[in-house]
Parts: sequence; C-alpha cells; structure tokens
Amino acid sequence: MKKILFFLLLTFQLVQSCTKVDENIYDRYSADDFYNSPTGSDVALASVYAQIAGNWGGVGYAGADNGWYDLNSMSSDEQVIPHRNTGDWQLDFVQLYKHEWLPTHLIVGNTWNWLYKSIFTANLAVEQLTNAKAETAKIAEARVLRAFFYYLLVDDFGNVPFYTENNITIENLPQKSRADVYNFIVTELSDNVEKLSADKGGQYYGRFNKWAGYALLAKVYLNAGVYTGTPKWAECLAACNKLTAGGFSLHPATANAASPLGNTYFDLFGDENPQDETILSIYTKTDIVGRNIFTIRSLLGPHFVALFNATGWNGTVTHENYVNRFDNNDIRKRQFISGAQPGGVNYSPTISSLDNPGAGREEGTRNMKFYPVGPLNGGGASNDFPIYRYADILLMKAECHVRLGDAASAKPFVDQVRTRAGLPGLAADPTLDDIYNERGFELTWEGHRRQDMIRFDKFLLAHDFKPASGAFRKLYPIPTFALDANKNLTQNPGY
Amino acid sequence: MPAVACLLCLVMSTSTYAQSRTIRGTVLDENAKPVAGANITAQVTGTGTSADSLGNFTLSVSPDVTILSISAVGYTSQDVNITNRTTVSVTLVGTAQTLTDVVVLGYGTARKKDLTGSVSTISSKDLNPGPVTSPLQQIAGKAAGVNVVQIGSEPGSAPGVRIRGITSLVGGSDPLVVVDGIQGNMDLFRQVPPNEIESVDVLKDASATAIYGSRGAPGVIIITTKRSRSGRSTIEFNSVASADFIGKKLRMLNAGEWWQEAQKWNVPASENHASNTDWFDILTRDGFTQNHSIALGGGTKDFNYRASVAAVLQNGIVINSNFKNYIGRIQATQKALDGRLSVTMNLNGNVSNTLGSPGSVGRAAFTSNLISNAYVSRPADPVFNADSSYFTDPNVFQYINPYAVAQEVVNEGGSNNLFGSLRTDLEVVKGLTASWFGSWRKTDSYWGYYLPAKSTVSIAMDNKGLASVTNNRADERLMNISLEYKKMIRQHRVEVLGLYEYQTQVYQGNFAQAKGFINDITTYNALQNGDLSRVTPGDITSYKNDRNLVSFLGRLNYSLHDRYLLTASIRRDGSSVLGVNNKWGNFPSASVAWRISNESFMSGQHVFDQLKLRIGYGVTGNQQGLYPQNSTQLVGASGVTYFGGSQITNFLITQNANADLRWETRSQWNAGVDFAVLNNKLTGTLDLFKATTKNLLFNYTVPQPPYPYGSILANVGSLMNEGVELTLSYEMIRTKDLSVTLAGNGSLIRNKVIELSGSINGVPLNTNYVPWGNNAYLIKGMPIGTYNILQHESIDAAGVEKVVDQDKNGIIDQGNQSPDRIIAGSAVPKYTYAFTPSVSYKNIDFSMVWRGSGGNKIYNGLRGTLSRMENIGKSNVLYDAIPLGLFTSQYGSDLWLEDGGFIRFENFSIGYRIKSNLKNIEAFRVFATGNNLAVITKYKGIDPELNGAYGSAGDNGIYPRTRNVSVGFNVIFK
Repeated sequence: MKKILFFLLLTFQLVQSCTKVDENIYDRYSADDFYNSPTGSDVALASVYAQIAGNWGGVGYAGADNGWYDLNSMSSDEQVIPHRNTGDWQLDFVQLYKHEWLPTHLIVGNTWNWLYKSIFTANLAVEQLTNAKAETAKIAEARVLRAFFYYLLVDDFGNVPFYTENNITIENLPQKSRADVYNFIVTELSDNVEKLSADKGGQYYGRFNKWAGYALLAKVYLNAGVYTGTPKWAECLAACNKLTAGGFSLHPATANAASPLGNTYFDLFGDENPQDETILSIYTKTDIVGRNIFTIRSLLGPHFVALFNATGWNGTVTHENYVNRFDNNDIRKRQFISGAQPGGVNYSPTISSLDNPGAGREEGTRNMKFYPVGPLNGGGASNDFPIYRYADILLMKAECHVRLGDAASAKPFVDQVRTRAGLPGLAADPTLDDIYNERGFELTWEGHRRQDMIRFDKFLLAHDFKPASGAFRKLYPIPTFALDANKNLTQNPGY
Repeated sequence: MPAVACLLCLVMSTSTYAQSRTIRGTVLDENAKPVAGANITAQVTGTGTSADSLGNFTLSVSPDVTILSISAVGYTSQDVNITNRTTVSVTLVGTAQTLTDVVVLGYGTARKKDLTGSVSTISSKDLNPGPVTSPLQQIAGKAAGVNVVQIGSEPGSAPGVRIRGITSLVGGSDPLVVVDGIQGNMDLFRQVPPNEIESVDVLKDASATAIYGSRGAPGVIIITTKRSRSGRSTIEFNSVASADFIGKKLRMLNAGEWWQEAQKWNVPASENHASNTDWFDILTRDGFTQNHSIALGGGTKDFNYRASVAAVLQNGIVINSNFKNYIGRIQATQKALDGRLSVTMNLNGNVSNTLGSPGSVGRAAFTSNLISNAYVSRPADPVFNADSSYFTDPNVFQYINPYAVAQEVVNEGGSNNLFGSLRTDLEVVKGLTASWFGSWRKTDSYWGYYLPAKSTVSIAMDNKGLASVTNNRADERLMNISLEYKKMIRQHRVEVLGLYEYQTQVYQGNFAQAKGFINDITTYNALQNGDLSRVTPGDITSYKNDRNLVSFLGRLNYSLHDRYLLTASIRRDGSSVLGVNNKWGNFPSASVAWRISNESFMSGQHVFDQLKLRIGYGVTGNQQGLYPQNSTQLVGASGVTYFGGSQITNFLITQNANADLRWETRSQWNAGVDFAVLNNKLTGTLDLFKATTKNLLFNYTVPQPPYPYGSILANVGSLMNEGVELTLSYEMIRTKDLSVTLAGNGSLIRNKVIELSGSINGVPLNTNYVPWGNNAYLIKGMPIGTYNILQHESIDAAGVEKVVDQDKNGIIDQGNQSPDRIIAGSAVPKYTYAFTPSVSYKNIDFSMVWRGSGGNKIYNGLRGTLSRMENIGKSNVLYDAIPLGLFTSQYGSDLWLEDGGFIRFENFSIGYRIKSNLKNIEAFRVFATGNNLAVITKYKGIDPELNGAYGSAGDNGIYPRTRNVSVGFNVIFK
C-alpha cells in the first residue's frame, strides 16, 4: 500500500507543473491593449464612420438595402418596390409605402439595430479618445457623430432608450422623451461643432467638419416643431447662415457629354461628390467600403446588362404622378427613365398593381440619379452619397423665411436652385407648397422625403395606391424584439 | 517420413522441442453449427490456431499444457481441460444469451455482468452490413436511445447521431468519439475502416460518461478495432459494391403543364422559352458505391500485429460528384518482461477526396443545393442556347442554369489525416499496473473552388470568375499517465484507477480568393492569374487558436460476492476556453448494481435466468460547444472604412467579455434492469433516465441597447431530457439447422426547455420564443423546437391565403410572440424504435433492420415555396399546387406543417456461407444487401428524416437519401 501512495504522490508531483490552462490569443487583439494607444483611439473614431457606409443586412445610412434609407424613403411618395407578377420582391417595401408596417417589420428592426450599434460605437470612440487624451477636435467629432445617430433615432422612433456610456446596466438605461433627447442633441452640437475642423475635402472628405456639423444642427432645428412642438425657425436659419463662411455654392449644371446623363448636375451623385456643393458625403467603393445599389436595384436585368454588364434587380420605381410633377425642361427630370431602352427593354410608366397580383415586369418609371460608376458589379456601384449638400441648405433657408413670414426673402434661395436646374424663377414669392415641391424635385431619392412630408403635413394623406393613414404612423414602432428584451420600454401609441 | 514430420513440428511450433502432442477438435455453436475462425489457444504457452470453416482445428501442444482456451467473437470463451485427451468437441454459447461480454469503458474494460451504468454494445457480427461509408451507418437501429440520422446521401456526407436526445443548444450535442483510446470528434469515424471494427460501445448515462468529464455530456461512442490473435495468421478480404438510386422525387409540372398553368396566372408569353427540359433527370444519375478492404495479421504469444488497407469509393447521384476515402492502419503489440510489460503502437492514415456538387447556389430568394434548384428551374427553359452556350435569363433576378453549375463549377477538396498512439502498460507488482498513453492526431484539409462566368451564377458573371483556396490544419495531442490496482480479497474485488491527462489542440488555417480571370483554364490553381484590382476585404484571411484541457481522475470499482457492485468516479477538468473565473470543474459519478439472480434465495426459482438492477447518478460537462477566445473582449478586423482621406482597415470589438463563461453541466439519473428469462431465450434491458443540463450555453438575447449585439454567449438556462429505453431479444427458434431471433429496441424521450432567462452581470435577460428553424421556437416550459405558428384559414378567390386572427384584433401579427400564433407540436421526435429480426438456416442467414421515429412535425418550407403560383413566372411549381390554387401568401402557416413520423426499411441482408474444402480458405461468405428499401410515411417531401442536429428542422430542400442494392463477399485466407 505504501508503494501505491508513493507512486500516486510522484505522479501528482510530476503533473503539478502541467496544470496551466491560460488562454492564448494569436489572431486578434485584446480590447484594452488595442484602444489605449493613439492609433487605437483614431481607429475607434474611424470605426464610427464605418457604420455610415451602406452595406448588406440593413447596415448604413444609405447605399444598400433594407436599412435606414429604405425606411425613410419607401414610406414616402418618391419610390417603392412593387411586388412583381413574375414572383419577384417581397411585400416589405409596399407595406412601408402603404403605411401598413407592424412592429415586427424587418426594415424597422434593422434600422433600430443599426442605430444602436452605431451609438455603441460612438460611445466607445468618445470614451477611448477621452482616455487617450486625444485632440479636442477628434473628441468633438465623435460626440457630433453620436448626436447625429440620436437625431436619426428620435426622428424615426420618438421616445428612445438613451445612454452615453457603454458599460451600464439596464436599470440605468431610461427611455427618454423625444424632447429630452432633442435637447441633448442641441446641447451636444452647440458645445462641439465649433471645435471641429474647418477644412473641407482631403482628409475631411466624408467626415464631420464644422460645416457638416452646422448642417446637422440646422436639420435638428428645422424639425424641432415636430420633435417638441416648439419650432426653432430662427435658430435653424442662424445655423444655415454659419455655412456661408464655408464658401459653398451650387455645382454648375451644364451640358457635358462626359457627365452622367449628359449634364454636370449629375456629377453631384457620381464617383466623388463635388466639394463646391457637397457638405457631407458617404465615401463608397463597392465591396470595399459600402455600396450604392440605387440604380441597379431599379433597372430591369437586360437593361443593366446592356449598359454595365451586370444584372439589374428590377426593383424600385417612382409613381408616374410624382414624375409628372417635374417640368419637362427640368434637368433633374432626366434621372427618371421610361420607354424603350437598350437591352430590348421598354418601361411603361403606369403601374397596374403594387402587391396582388403585382406589377408587370416592365411597369414603372426607373431612376438613374446615381448613374453607376465603377468598380461596379451585381451587388452595386461606387457612387458616393451626399448626406447634406448646399442646395438643401438653400431650401431650408427659404423655408425658414417663409415660416417666419418673410416669403420675399425666401424667393432668391428657391430661384437659385431652380435656375441651376434650367428652370425660370418662381412667378411669385414662394408658398410652403412651392418649397415642399422644390425639395421634392431637388432632393428626391436622397433620403429626406419622409421627414419633409411629415414637416409639411403631407405624410398621412392618401396618394398613388396609398390610402390615408393614422397620425401614429408619423413614428415607427419600437421593434417587437426590443420590447421583448427590455420590459421597461413603452411602445409608441397606435401600435 | 518421421524426419519430415519432425521438421514440420519445428516449423509449426518453434517453442516446443519435442514430445509435443496433437490435439484435434471441433468448435460448434449451440445449434451445432461450426464456429469458423474460433481461436484456440494453449494456456501458459500461448500457442494457438483457429478453427476452419467446418469448425475443425488441429493444434500441437507441449505435454505440460492442460488447458485450451476457445474463444470467438460473439461467443463466450471457454476453457477445456485436455489432460489425457487428444480430441475435444467444444460448444460455444452465443453472447446474446449471457451477460458476460467484455465492455469497453472509458480508460478500461469491464465484464458486462459487472456493469453498473447504461452502455450499449454492438459487436462486429451485429453491425449493419452493406456499402457503408461511415461506421455510424453500421449501428443505426442497433441501440436504444442512440439515434443515427443520415440526411441525404451526398457523397462523403456522414450521418449525425444523438444519444438520449438534444443535450445542448450551441454545438456539443455530438458525442465524444474514442477510437482505441484516441479521443476526438465525429471526424474520427472517417479514419476507421468499417470492416475493421471489433465492437462499438455507446456510453449513455452519466455514471458511465462522467469518466470523460467535461467532454462526456453528449454521450461517448467507443470503437475498438480488430486485433489478431496469437498463434495464427490470416489475410482477410472484403468487397462490396452497390448501385444507388434516388428513392423519391417531387412531382413537378412538365413543360406543357407549366405553360398551361402559367397562362392562367397572366404570365407573359415572353417567359415561355418553348423547350422541354427535365432538369431533375439531366442532373441526376444512378450512383455507385464500392467498399474494399484487405487485412492481414498474425501473432505469437508475445507479439501480434494487424494491418489493413481500405477504400470507400462513392459516385454520387448528382452528376460530377464523388467521394473517395482510403484508409491504412497498422497496429502492433509486443510484450516483454515475462508478460509484465506490454507496448502497443497504432498508426493510422487516411486520405479522402471529395468532388462536390456546389451546396448553396441559386437565387437570393431560394439558395439551396442543385437538386432543389432542379425543381425550381422552369421546364420550358432550354439547357443550351442555339450557339450551344448555356441558357440563362437576365430577366429573372440571379437566374441560374443548374446544369451549367453542375458541369462548370470546380468544387473539390480533400483531407489527409494521420494519427498515431503508443500505449505502455507495466505491471509494477502483482495487481498494480502503471500506464502511459500518448496520441497525436494531425489533420490537413484543403478545398478548392472555382466558379467560372459560364456557370451562369450571377456573382461569377459579375466578377468574371471567382476562385478560392481554403486550407485548415488541426493538431491534437493527448497524453495520460495512470496507475491501476486490482485486488481480490476473499469476496471483495477492488479496482482503483488514478489518472492524469493533458490534451492540447491547435487549429490553424487560411483562405484566399481571387476574382476576374481572363479565361477558365487554371481554375483555382493560380489565384495570381486573377485581377488584383478586384481584391476586397475578406478575400485573404487566416486564423490560429488553441485549447488545452487538463484532467485528474479517479475511479473505484468494488464488488462484493459478485452480487453487489459499486462504481464511483471523480474527474476534475481545467479548460483554457472558459472564463477566468471558471476554469475548473468537478464531475463526480456513482452507480450501484445488484445481481439478484446470483442471490441464494433466487436459486430455487425458474423465472429469471439473469436479473440485475442498476442505479446511477453522474455529472458531466460540455465544452465542445465553446470555441477558444470566447470569454474575453477582443478586437478584430472588420472590413475597410474610409477615414482621413484613405481606405483603412476597420477594427471592431467582436464580442462581449464574459469572465464567468463556464461549461454546461449535465446531471443525469439512470435506473435500469437487465434480465434473461425463459431459459435465456428472452433477454432484455430496460433503462429510465432523467438528465438536466444546467448553465445552458446559448446566445442569449440581451437588450440592444446597451449591448451592441442582440445576443451574448452565456450560461443561464436549463434543459431537461427524460426517457425510457427498452431493448429486447427473443430467440424464438433454436435448432440445429434453424434459428430465428426477434430483436428490437425502442425509446421514448421527452425534452423540455426549463429556463431561458436569468441575468448576466445584473442585466435581466428576457430570452424566450427564440426562433429554432422555420416557425419552431425555444419556449420556456415547452419541448425544443416547438412550433408556434399561424393557423391556415382559407385561400380566397384571388388566391391569397388567409390565416386565423386568433386575437381578433384585425391585424395578423407575425412576431415571434404574436398572439395570432398557436402551439402545434414539436420538431423533435418523441419516440424512436427499431425492429431487427434475423434468421439463419443451415448456411444461409437473413437479417433486417426496420426503424422509425414519430411524434414530431415538419415544416415543409420547400412545398410552400413550390406551391405559390406567384412564382410560376420565374420557376416551376409542384403538380399538387394546381388544385391548391394559392397565388400568394404573406405567411408561413400550418398549411405546410406535416406529420414527421416514418418507418424505414433500413436494411435487408442475405448471406450464404460457402462450405470450403480448400485448405487455404478458412471462410468464404457471399451476401446481398438492400439499404433504405422503403419508407412508410405521410410526409409529402422527399424524406422525413431531416431533423437537424438540434431539432431545428424545416425542409428547405435536401439532397435525397439513396436506395441501394449491393452484393459483396468476404474471404479469409489462412
């Protein structure tokens, strides 16, 4: 028996050194080591921008599908993807268009997840840059980015969970009122925008510089009445006026065979957004950084094949009533495509049905505002996307003047935009409807339409296959999965 | 002449000098049939021989030999006293009637009669015959509670197996596989030649599996390969070839029917390409499977070896698909120090090559295998254009021509696996054995893929060809040191085992992809020929990670009077993949058994020939579901972003930290009874068990915000499985010429999700109604994969489906927890059963396996897709869709929910043993086998057996299971 004990002891002594079970990490970085370095904090800021470029699965502001852009564009009158009687396309888009979405809607959920992941990323950037004692401008940039995402969030969802530090428990995650979050955004922007760089283009292309910051602040004030019940037209005007010092002008629109659709106007939506007019861009290089699907999603297969040698998706169309509001001389009308096309395709403007049995294959007017630039393939093109541009600011200024009762001061701004588009100025001082329509002509397919329709009280009205809808549709529902996961949340009324 | 005889004696037995005597004998079974190949070994000297096909043997033994040991696989060994005898006649008793088999347990063996836990043993003679490509197919239907499911017969695809149900939700329901002491995952099966299996032992309850600690929770399958016996040398050749047919295909519309229907739904004439193509027919063919092996072996008293080479060759039923697996192994044991030292080495290598049909191709709306794409393709579409290029239709989004895919895509790969082990046992003093065991397994696999533009796949056309190469390597090492002490003190038999084990596993790999080829000549063999300007993030990746497991274990076996049996074990495991706060865990078990039939008070009764009660409890763990690097917060590359005027690599936090991450623990009770009655004619085993998985690993829903992702891997919930298993075998007729045995097994199993919520770091979780396949969910208090589904009401005049608005609020809510959904059964079968009768008459033997399961539902998603007439413009539909008249539906309702019960005629085999008078042929048997001959089911899809590994089933199109007819032979040369 002693022998056994001896052997047991010997064995255990031998193996005592062999009891280490620490984890080895070979192919990734530990989060703490990574971010607590100057390079790391820069990377943290860069990764917030990665959230903005559009990519699959509802990620991104614009460029890809099933995300924020579709939620805010398809629910308006400017575009829809009908179900086709050839069996293509699910009904998600028609549900948005007809205001029939439910809290389980795919695109509502995708947008919620994208925005909160963006806020998490922005919180992380603020924290890491602060810890690393980074330059003031970079910390300010991260804070402005976070405010941008909160602005998109309250615009769509109203009262939302609010947090600025990632490591918190759910009890410390209150659902703040739309007004409270609005106040946070305004304060945060007021405190930080001035700290941003005034440089344009170059290393600030696609980033929040001072001018993009003021454009954002102006947008927030523009919709203050919707968010809080108290309009802030004068504040909006003041923020717009800050951009004057940025030296922006409208990009010229001249006939040019080398430009998309034969006019330099469409350079605004090409490979790189021109710096004279564009205030904030999404840089896009398909399959590398984001993608821009807006033309390929619209055109029919053989048409896109004939032009670009990739298969079009035969998706998005614009109702003929919307297209017909454009003046025939309007350069901007060229983006809409109908009739006979290369590839043996002939689009008929009239859509017979949106859902059951669905539209015929060649029905509906198509759109080529984002005339595809390479690299491109069946998954999209590389057009950059303008989030804010000067034409928008001019029309915002005009709107503020009209809202403040000074239509005469508004007229030059509207006329400036119209003249560039090859149209005469307005015959009289602009009305709110004139401005609403002009925004529809100038900014169509750029993701502003839902917000504009709500602000001009057009959103709930019946139009083109869409019946009148209830006032609760001005807010999207909080997604069902978010309510299930956090019992403290209150659903928006009506859902 | 005497000189010749003497020389012969010398050759035959070098260990004897003279005066040896010759023993002649016959070995028969209880039915007086010869036991060919029975081993006859002279005790002490170890010389031996084996019986010929008539059961006859001749053996020269030295004069001092008094005992011969007679043994044969499947029979109880017998010792015969040969003092003063020159002829013997031995009758071996088949083990089906006794409880004395040797069972291989973890780190040791036990006599079956001493077992205290629940273990199923299948010996080589009970393995399913036929053209098997995986050893698991050989045990299908043979053990209660062991459910082997072959989903489709894609070349090289191995079946899955679940022992006593679904034990885990995130990987790790696969059992631990142990081949001759080498531990691994299910891939190890690929390295075992099917003909070289001596026995398969399945450890089912925790008192048996706890010895494997943190790897034992899902059960353990132990494979023991054949060994040569001393004193004889043989060459064994096995060959079987089978023709494989598609058992069932869906009835789709032909071109005429399709166009007739399409017009009713206003499909424009431009969609009718006026051809007549049977896509299914041109994509499929009859398959052919071959299985050959040659084994050689021999041995003396102190040395034996066995070597074998095997080939499994399979031609798939889809054109251009095949699988080849070649296995070679050699095993040798040498004894020294008068038998006290024994060293065994084992080397095994295999090379397998697969030419696969592309797995997930097709339109975004319907991505599936080629078989399912054949269903979708319109019958009026031609295969080729007039210029003999492949037809494709740019009007249909992401159209593919499945024939072009099958012909043009290069999709091939292979793996080279090597394992070796060395075992040293030294008897230090009588009863005390010290052992060292080491094993090393290396696997290298590669995959090459080339998708040319002419395959018609849109991504390939966009990119002008797409090529990729994948390489993966695994390096797994295991070492253990043990001391075992066995002692018999009067009525007490004690066995004690102490063991230390260290395992380390390293995984590495890389992937590279290139796009844009000017022609297709080099396929994936020259990525540099691609267009480098098309390189995008994710085209080049590599990884490396490892895991270590350190274990200490102790086991005590104790028996008193051979009637009262106790087994207790404890294992302590430390694992690197767990959170820093929970690296170590303890896995105890204990079980007792009472052999009532050995009690003196039983001696007078004539009901029970054998009766044993068993009860046991144990705790096991699961860490196979955990990958390395899961518990810490890490940063990894995530594509590219644009910042500071240039494209830079983007980095993201890839997961949340969880320092508390631990293994799942499964505690299980088992109670069983083994019995033999009616003069040993009826034997059976009945087991009851209840197992609870706690600290259930799962990706739990967390609120987003504040979490950046909607779920986190944590240990929160719990899961329960309980069941009854019964195995019966009845020897109905047992005469000299005829024996009829009726055998079967069945199990009832019930599982329940006990809890999915809790809290992590103070964050309350509200995980419930987790999607688990099409319309199936994990719901607290319900079985895994419970259907919670909308109820079909009607199809209106316009062909639109209406579903029941259960809460009558006018809105059909499709949310997971919608009040409009109703509970409608589960995806997981409630019972499985098998019936395995066998008959032998003179030299002919028959056997059958019928097996089935039921009590589950299947969501037939494929039928839903192929029934919507809205799709008829771009795809074919089912013939049955015409009377249904469904144009469109927004819902996946219970219209597509079907009964999943079935009975399968899994195997039918007939064999004939040819009486050979040739002196060099020991045994010769020819046989014919049919596999999957019939399926009796109400299910409308191709095959009801498609339950995924975790019961998350829905039918979205599977590769068909083939029906095989094979012939083969087995010959042993001596």
